[in-house]
Amino acid sequence: MNRWKKKPAPASKPNKRPTLAGEGFGGRLGYYVGRSLSNIRQNIFVNVVTIGTITLALLIVSLFLLVFVNLENAAENWSERVQVTAYFDRELSAQEQASLRSRIAAIPGAARVNYVSRDEALKRFRARLRGQETLLEGVRPEILPTSFEISMKRASRDTQSVEAFVSGLKRIPGISEVQYGEEWVRRFNTFLNFMRLVGALLGAFLVIAVLFIVSNTIKLTIYARRDELEVMALVGATRFFIKAPFLIEGVIQGGAGALLAMGLLLALYEGLLHNAGSFLTFNPAAAGLSFLPVEYVYAIVLSGVCLGFIGSLTSLKRFINV
Amino acid sequence: MIQLHNVSLAYQKDASALNDIDLRIGKGEFVFLTGPSGAGKTTLLRLLYGALTPTRGQVLIDGQNVSRMSPAQIPLLRRSIGVVFQDFKLLPTRTVFENVSITLEVLGWGRADIGKKVMHTLKQMGMESKINLTPQRLSGGEQQRVALARALVNDPKILLADEPTGNLDDANKNQILNIFKEANVRGTTVVVATHDRRLIEHGHKRLITLSKGEIVEQMEKEAGPGEQA
Repeated sequence: MNRWKKKPAPASKPNKRPTLAGEGFGGRLGYYVGRSLSNIRQNIFVNVVTIGTITLALLIVSLFLLVFVNLENAAENWSERVQVTAYFDRELSAQEQASLRSRIAAIPGAARVNYVSRDEALKRFRARLRGQETLLEGVRPEILPTSFEISMKRASRDTQSVEAFVSGLKRIPGISEVQYGEEWVRRFNTFLNFMRLVGALLGAFLVIAVLFIVSNTIKLTIYARRDELEVMALVGATRFFIKAPFLIEGVIQGGAGALLAMGLLLALYEGLLHNAGSFLTFNPAAAGLSFLPVEYVYAIVLSGVCLGFIGSLTSLKRFINV
Repeated sequence: MIQLHNVSLAYQKDASALNDIDLRIGKGEFVFLTGPSGAGKTTLLRLLYGALTPTRGQVLIDGQNVSRMSPAQIPLLRRSIGVVFQDFKLLPTRTVFENVSITLEVLGWGRADIGKKVMHTLKQMGMESKINLTPQRLSGGEQQRVALARALVNDPKILLADEPTGNLDDANKNQILNIFKEANVRGTTVVVATHDRRLIEHGHKRLITLSKGEIVEQMEKEAGPGEQA
């Protein structure tokens, strides 16, 4: 293509092409971040809408999580009642108590082992029949059994583990009977599984709804700025150069939305939910609801960032084909 | 500088937008493309900056075959081509300065150099007093001058204009035409697609008339100072 005589370079042209400090992504990161910050400033309305949407969406999810985590905690507390009792038809000597206690504690699943003597058993019996003491006339401690009350470790409170524990217990000679409220354990675990299933379904539904809403909001905001994508492509910007500020913007929007959601959740918690336990008086012993564990808070902020990034990435794919 | 060999392009199977175009535009030429609406002017320009690929034939820009370029090569091609449109395509949220500096940011220029070069170019366009305004606050002529500044700020080898004066009055048309001529004098090859007779009469050096996707007439008025083909 050199059929045409080369013209001398015009005088106004700079002699060498100046570049930013450092080539490549690292050197340009500063430029991309600056660009995305001024994009946010220049498109403030669109950004406020996006951040607001992400905030509300994540607030709904985290409120749900807060309730779910507290229900799980409540379930943990109720599961303290999963207890196995081993009965003996005679009073045990201190030595026998010690050796049996260590044998029981050696069975996997046992947490605390507590000996109940005949006198103690009668005391409890009396306490239970308060007001009807006449029924206890003639009852002597000797007719009552002695027992070991065994509470279970947290991980061993499901039906199978309890049953395995009980069969281990029954192998110890001298134990006349073992009781553990099979029906209650079974019902409790069924309820727990049902609650988890409903929670998972609701949670999945919420997460899908949030993904849908957020990704569409981001798509609309990028659609509103498709001219910018076109102009950038016209002046010779590479795909990466066009995308990078939008992706950083997405990350900022997602992160800001998540942090705002956490702030609002904390405010809601401190203002209303903190005392909800006693407020609703469903359990006077409980000190109200607890806030989300800190790992959950990190996870929500991180998922906000990912949401913004992936939402922008998938939306950009649609519009960058110039 | 620009060569088209047997170029055809069909948007749909049986309706061709361009048909067997053979065209050669030399370095430093100033060419007007004219013809009725739907003649294929815009399509031809879009082929030149790689927004379309021909169905058949070759498009060569400065010796490079555009029709065989990968998507990653197209941006590099466009850095040596300035493009302006009838609707200016300025970014409404950015200032005049920012609209022009985009071109140099893409090239990786440093901030200080961008500032100097953009100011210099805007001064040439007579827009230096409006650098901090957004496009909505400018008249049509001013907007087109900003768009031209964006296209010319990196001294491109080629300037393509698609109906650049379609939205402008006569005074503004002359101003825009003068900017084209100055760019041409500085060595830029200029291709303007228009059906504005007045613009063609005042500025015409070489005129190519398209109709129904074919070149029907080529006229040359005089050999201008920038022409060397």
